[in-house]
Amino acid sequence: MNLSFTLNGQQVALEVAPDRRVVDLLREDLNMGGTKECCGSGECGACTILVDGQSQLSCLMLAAQLQGRSVLTIEGAAADADAAIVQQAFVEHGAVQCGFCTPGMILATLDLLQRIPQPNREQVRHELSGNLCRCTGYQKIIDAVMAAAVSLKGGQR
Amino acid sequence: MQVLFPQTLNELQTLLAEISQGRIMAGGTDLLVKLRQSGQQIPAVFCLEQLSELQQTGWQEDEFCIGAAVTQQQLLDNAVIQTEYCGLYQALNELASPPIRHAATLVGNICSASPAADSLPPLVAMDAKVDIVGPAGCRVISVSDFVCGPGQNCLQPGEYVSGVRLPRLPQGTISVYHKVGKRKALAIAVTSLAAVYRTAADGALQKIRLAWGSVGPTVVTAPEVEAYLLGKPLSEVDLRQAGAMASAAVSPIDDVRASEQYRRSLAGNLLLKLVATPTAAKGE
Amino acid sequence: MSNNKRPDAGFVREIGCSAPRLDAADKVTGAAVFAADLYPADLLWAGVKRPEHPHARLLAIDTAAALAIPGVVAVLTHKDIKGSNRLGIFEKDQPILADERVRHYGDAVALLLAESKEALAAAMAAVRVEYEVLPALFDPVLSQAADSPVLHPQRSAGNLLIGGEIRRGDPAEALTQAAYQVTLTVSTTWQEHAFLETQAGVAQLETDGTLTMTVSTQTPFRDRLELAEAIGLSPAKIHVIAPCLGGGFGGKDGITVQGFLALAAMHSGGRPVKLWYSREESILAGTKRHPLQAEYTLGCDQTGQLQALSARLLFDTGAYASLGSEVFALAMENAGGPYRIPNVAIDGAAVYTNNPVAGAFRGFGVPQVAAAMEQAIDELARAGGFDPLELRRQNAVVRGDSSPTGVTLTGTVGIGECLDTLARHPLWQRRQSWLAAAPRFKRRGIGIAAVAQSIGYGPAIADCGNAKMELLADGRLRVYVGVSDMGQGNASTYAQIAGHILGQPMDAMELVFPDTARTLPSGSASASRTTFTYGNAMIRAAELLGERIKARAALMVSFQLLHSVKLEDMALLPGRLQHVPSGRSLPLPLVATLMDATERMATATYTAPVNDQPLDSGVNLRKHGFPHRLASYGVQLAALEVDTLTGETEVCELLSCIDAGRVLNPQLYEQQVQGGVAQGLGYALFEEFTVEQGRIKTGDLSTYILPTALDVPDMLTVPVSSHEPAGPFGMKGIGEIGIDAVLPAVANALATATGQRIAGGTLNAEKVLAALRHTGQEAMR
Repeated sequence: MNLSFTLNGQQVALEVAPDRRVVDLLREDLNMGGTKECCGSGECGACTILVDGQSQLSCLMLAAQLQGRSVLTIEGAAADADAAIVQQAFVEHGAVQCGFCTPGMILATLDLLQRIPQPNREQVRHELSGNLCRCTGYQKIIDAVMAAAVSLKGGQR
Repeated sequence: MQVLFPQTLNELQTLLAEISQGRIMAGGTDLLVKLRQSGQQIPAVFCLEQLSELQQTGWQEDEFCIGAAVTQQQLLDNAVIQTEYCGLYQALNELASPPIRHAATLVGNICSASPAADSLPPLVAMDAKVDIVGPAGCRVISVSDFVCGPGQNCLQPGEYVSGVRLPRLPQGTISVYHKVGKRKALAIAVTSLAAVYRTAADGALQKIRLAWGSVGPTVVTAPEVEAYLLGKPLSEVDLRQAGAMASAAVSPIDDVRASEQYRRSLAGNLLLKLVATPTAAKGE
Repeated sequence: MSNNKRPDAGFVREIGCSAPRLDAADKVTGAAVFAADLYPADLLWAGVKRPEHPHARLLAIDTAAALAIPGVVAVLTHKDIKGSNRLGIFEKDQPILADERVRHYGDAVALLLAESKEALAAAMAAVRVEYEVLPALFDPVLSQAADSPVLHPQRSAGNLLIGGEIRRGDPAEALTQAAYQVTLTVSTTWQEHAFLETQAGVAQLETDGTLTMTVSTQTPFRDRLELAEAIGLSPAKIHVIAPCLGGGFGGKDGITVQGFLALAAMHSGGRPVKLWYSREESILAGTKRHPLQAEYTLGCDQTGQLQALSARLLFDTGAYASLGSEVFALAMENAGGPYRIPNVAIDGAAVYTNNPVAGAFRGFGVPQVAAAMEQAIDELARAGGFDPLELRRQNAVVRGDSSPTGVTLTGTVGIGECLDTLARHPLWQRRQSWLAAAPRFKRRGIGIAAVAQSIGYGPAIADCGNAKMELLADGRLRVYVGVSDMGQGNASTYAQIAGHILGQPMDAMELVFPDTARTLPSGSASASRTTFTYGNAMIRAAELLGERIKARAALMVSFQLLHSVKLEDMALLPGRLQHVPSGRSLPLPLVATLMDATERMATATYTAPVNDQPLDSGVNLRKHGFPHRLASYGVQLAALEVDTLTGETEVCELLSCIDAGRVLNPQLYEQQVQGGVAQGLGYALFEEFTVEQGRIKTGDLSTYILPTALDVPDMLTVPVSSHEPAGPFGMKGIGEIGIDAVLPAVANALATATGQRIAGGTLNAEKVLAALRHTGQEAMR
C-alpha cells in the first residue's frame, strides 16, 4: 500500500505492506533505530512511540494504522522543546544506564506529563508501569520525571 | 494479510461476509500477540478504529453504552465510568499497562474471553450485556452468556459485537474489583473478585452480586454465597463463612502462575477485602 | 523554556563527584547505536533451528526442503564447520552446531540464512531432523546415579563438572560442642538476565579474509580467541566490535551468537549477516543464574561466637559448562559469608543436566550462597536468642582475620562499619514501632543480610587492563575503552579518571568503545573488576600523557622565559596549561599540535596482584579463580508488609550499606546499587523461572515476571566509603554486591512477618500465604 503519515514533523510517503509491524517499518525501512524492540508482544514498552501524542506500542501496530497520523519517535524528540527538557532530566538525574529502555521511557514520560503535568511519584510509577527497565530499579527514572515536571511547569508560566 | 478499515457498520458486515476467515481487530493487543505466537496466517484484519459508529459512549435510557472501538484509556478518562462503575474502572486501571490500554478496547477484552480477563468479573457482577450484530439481525445477550469457555465466545459466523451495555446502578451501590496478580502492573490475574452490592440503612445487604476471575473456565458466580450474605450486614464473620463457601464453589486449575489450592484460598479470602479496604458507594 | 544546558558542563568532574555519563546524551536522543540496531545494506538474516528433545542423538539432518524455499541462501550444519566446533572457556564442551547429540532444548541443530525473516521462518520449519531420543537427566541430585544418562560421555568425571571441598579445623567436633546450632535446607532457582537488548550482532567476511563482527558482548577479546579455535580461523583474522550493550549482567560474558554469526558470514558469499534473538529464543538459549540446593549447619557458643559451619552445595550447570566451574569456585569461596568461623567443611559440586545452561550472572554464585548462609545465621540468632544484627556484628571479619576458607584478609574490610551504619540508621532504630504499626490484614517484617563479594579474576588468569588514551590535535581527549560497557557506565568513569588527572572537563572527552582493532585487550566486563583493573591502568596512562604534555609545554615556556622550567610548575587546567611562577598560559590545543601523534597517544598496563597464599583445601578451585585478595562488603535491610488475605508482599524499604571502597562517582555508584537491588527483589519475589522436564515454562515476558516501576520501592543507599590502597583512588568494585543480600534479607523479613521460614525458590505470594496459614495468621486481621 501507499502509506503517508507525518514522522517527527516531516511528511513521509512510502510503499509498504499494510501488515508490516510499525517497529519494523521504523527500524528497517526508515532507518530509525531509536525505537527498540525487546519482547515483540507488548510486555516491555521498549518500542513505545507517540501516535497523535499518545503512547502506543509499535510492535503491536500495523503500518496501515499510521495512515494520515502523526508519529513522534525518539529521533524527533530533541526538536520538541518539552521532550528536550525530559531528555536533559534523564541525563542529569542518572536515569540512563544501558539505554535500551530509554527511548520508550522518554516517550512514555511525554505522554504522562501531557496528561498529568504535576504527578506524584506513585502516579509516575503507575504511568510508566508498561515500560520495563532492567538496569536502574526505576528510582532515578522517577527522579528524572519529577524533575522534568518541575522544569516544564516553570517553563510554561 | 490485508488491513482494512471499514467506515460504516454496513461495510464491516460486508467484509465479514466476504472474507469469512478475516478477524476483527479492536485494538490488536491480544490478536497480534496470538498471531505472532501461533504463526497462523489470516487473510485480513478489520480494524475498528475508524468506524465512528462504534466510537460512541453514552446513556441510552437506563444503560450506559460503550461502542466496540472505544479504548480502555477512553473509558478510564470517562467521568461516568470513574464515578458510576468504580469496579470496572479499577479493573481497567489494573489491566496490562498504559500503552496497552491506549490501544486495547473493552469489547476486545470481552471477546478474547480469557478466564483471567480483568473486565469480565465486574461486567458479570453488574449484569452487563453485549450487542451482537449479524446477518440475521441484532441480539442482546448477557456477558455471562456470551463468554462460553476459555477463549470462546458465542459469536456465530458473520456476527460481531458492536458494543456493551452497563445497567444503571441504583444510588448507594458499591462496585469494587480486587485482583491478585504476580506483580502490580502487566499482570494476568491469578484470581480476581468483583462485587456489586448495596446495603440498607441498617447495614443489611439488600443486593449483592459476586463474580470471580481466573478460578474457572469462565467467570465464576456463586448464587449460594450471595444468598448466604443477603440480608446480613457485611461483617468479617459472615464474610469468612462466605469465603469458605466460595472456596468450595470455584473450579480453578494449576498453571504456571499458581496452584489450584492457592486460587481457592484467594477466592474466599478476597471476600474479606470488602471490609479490609475502604470503598465509597456511588453517590457518596 | 528553561535553559537546559548545565551551567557547569565545562567543569572538571573530580573523582568523588557525580558526573553525568558521557553516553547518556546519545542514549536519550536515540543516536546511540547498539548491535541490534545495525542493518547493513544487502544483509541476510540468520536463524537457528532448535531441537525438539532435551537429549537425543542426531541421526540425520535433511536440509533439502528448506533449501528449496525461495529466498533461502544456506542451511548449515556441524559438517560445515572447519574448526573444533567447541566453545567454552576452560571446559570446551559446547558445540556451535550440535554434532553427535543435542543436550537441551536451547541447543542449535542448524543455522539458516535467508533474504527475509519470512523465508527464514519457513525454512526453519522445513528442516527435517531425525533423532534417537535418549533418556534425559533433569534432577541434579541424580546426576551421579549409576543409571543416569551421561551427557558428555568423553568426560572421565561423567556428569560431574566440578567438585570441591574446603576444610578448616574440625567442624564435626566443634558442632558437638556448640551451644546452639541450626540446620537449614535452602534452594534457589534459575534467574534470567533479561537484558532488554537480546543477543544480537552482524558480521561480514571482508575481501581480505577478515571476519568483522559487531556484537553485543561483554568479552570482545576473549570471544576472538574462543571463536578462532571453534571455527578454524586465525584470531588475527577476527575483528570484534562491542558497541553500546543493552544490558549484560553476565549473560553476554562469553559467546552467545558469535559462533553463528561467524559461520553464517563464512557462507554468505561476502554479504553481511544479522542475527537477533527474539525474547523467546533469548530465554530458551541464553545462560541463566545457577540454581542451588544447599544444606547448612551452623553452630555457635553460648556467647554467640560462631564455631562451625558445615555446608553442602549442589549447583545445576545444565547442558554445558559455560562459566559453571568459576561460578562454583566463587560460591565455595564466599559460602561462609563475611564471618570468622574457625571450623569449616564445605562440600560442593556443579553437575550437568539436560536443563538450560547456567553461567555468569551478577554476583556469580554469591547470591545463591548468601541466600543459604544469611538465612542460617538468622535461624541461629533465633535459636540462641541473639539479636540478628548483633550476632553478625560480633562475628564480622576485620582486616587480618581469616575468612571462612582460611584466606588471610589483607585488603580493606568494611563489613563491621557497614553493620554499624545500619545499626545507627532510623529504619533499624525504629524497627519495633514500625513492626507494631501494621495495618489491618497486614503483617510486617524486617530482615537483614550481610555479604562479601570477591573482586577480580583470582589467581588463574591475569587480571589485566591495558589503557589507551589520546590527546587529539584539537586538545580534546579520547579514551579507548578496552572493557565493554554493558550499561554500568565504566567507560564514563574512565573518562572521569582521565579528566581528573589531566584537569580536563567531561565535555572535552570522547570514548571509543571496545574494538579489537582499536582498543587494547583488557579482559571481560565482569567480576566487579572493570573499574578496578582498567581504572588503575587508566591512571597510569593519564599520568604518562600528562607528563608528556607538561614537558612539551614546559619546553615552550622555557623558550619564552629563556630559562629552564620545572615540570611541577606546569599546571594542567581546563583547555590550557599554566606556568604557575610566571603566570604564562598556553592553550592545550597549541601544545597538542606541537606533539607528534605517537607522543599524544599513551598506553599503560596494570595487572591486579593475585593471592598466592597456600591453602590446605580447595586446591582444585585455584585454576577457577579461588582465592581472591579483595572483596566488597555489604549489609542490606528489607522492611516489608505481607497481606494476610493474599500472601502478597510489598517491600516498603530497602536499605543498602555497602563498602565498595571509595566512591568515584556517587551517581553511578547509586545506579549500580539500585539496579542490583531491583534485580535482587525480582530474584527474591517475582522471577520464578520454571523448568519442567527440561522445558522452560516461563519462556516469555508474560510468564517470566520482571518487576515493573510499581513493584520496586524507592531505595536507600548509604556508602561506607573505605579507602582500599590497591584500588584506583581507593575503590574496590560495586557492580555485583547490590544484588547479593537482597533475597536473604527479604526471606528473613518474611520469616519475621509470617513466623515461618520459606527457604525454597522464589518467595511468591502463594508460599507466603501457606506460611501464614501454618502459623494461623491467614486472613487474620
